[in-house]
Amino acid sequence: MPAEHAIAGAPAAESDEQIVAALRAGDERTFRELFARSYPMMKRVARAYVASDAVAEEIVQDTWMAIVTGIERFEGRSALGTWMFSILTNQAKTHSARERRALPFSSVAPAGIEQPAVDPDRFQKDDEAWPGHWATPPRPWQKPERRLLSLEARDRLRQALAELPDRQRLIVGLRDVDGHSSEEVCDLLGISQENQRVLLHRGRSRLRAILDEYLEGSDA
Amino acid sequence: MHKSGLPHDGHSAGEIDPSDEVTCQQLVELVTDYVEGALQPRTMNHVEEHLVVCDFCVTYVEQMRATIATLKGLEKHGSPEPPASALAALQARRAAGA
Repeated sequence: MPAEHAIAGAPAAESDEQIVAALRAGDERTFRELFARSYPMMKRVARAYVASDAVAEEIVQDTWMAIVTGIERFEGRSALGTWMFSILTNQAKTHSARERRALPFSSVAPAGIEQPAVDPDRFQKDDEAWPGHWATPPRPWQKPERRLLSLEARDRLRQALAELPDRQRLIVGLRDVDGHSSEEVCDLLGISQENQRVLLHRGRSRLRAILDEYLEGSDA
Repeated sequence: MHKSGLPHDGHSAGEIDPSDEVTCQQLVELVTDYVEGALQPRTMNHVEEHLVVCDFCVTYVEQMRATIATLKGLEKHGSPEPPASALAALQARRAAGA
């Protein structure tokens, strides 16, 4: 009996075991669903390693071939998603080594060492009346709910997101744009919660500053 | 740790000296941990006490939340057709198992 009939009518939320069994049997429906579900995140991760969308797509396609051919070897010691993403990052590292780019997660500096969220000149210095308090405070955004819904504002933010450093773009994209949880992101990328938060913090801070400049017309 | 400086203890970026209040400059570095619910309770208290009295920081946190809200769904994703090679490999499996 073809394997598809055994799987047909299975609930949408299949377990890893069910998915693996279906893939081993060559079930195309299961594969297509898994592919569609996983593709956006895989593309985003791959894109953090290489210089172009086209190369990122190539990496993802190669990864899927490796997943299908390698599914026999999957032993279930990790979650299926973790295994899939480790194949993806292996493929991405090979590609990016060919491009001679730095690996995105080879080092994440501890918090506070890189660029601060806000220019230190915006705060009072140690010799002023209230050290660490705002010297030039943020101006409230005028009608933000309406203005941030505009196509132009969204385009500006999209552009700013694309211009973030790779790792920040990846984490902000996965967490804030696509809505993945911090647990999911950390599990699949093999990074700590703190590392993930550091990148999220830097990315979000930068984007807030860019939106502030866009809405209020000067850097903040 | 300087009152006006950033928390420099690398492994506890969400913690500050509990005898100090949070300054605005510290708060803007803590805001992500705050929004993520990742602050230690004492630090969380300091941040919330600060937000009660500092309208400027309230503005900053609101702007951060508005930024996050605008990011949500900013990019829509589809997925392409899966690679033909993978589909062919699946078909070969079905043929082998039939």
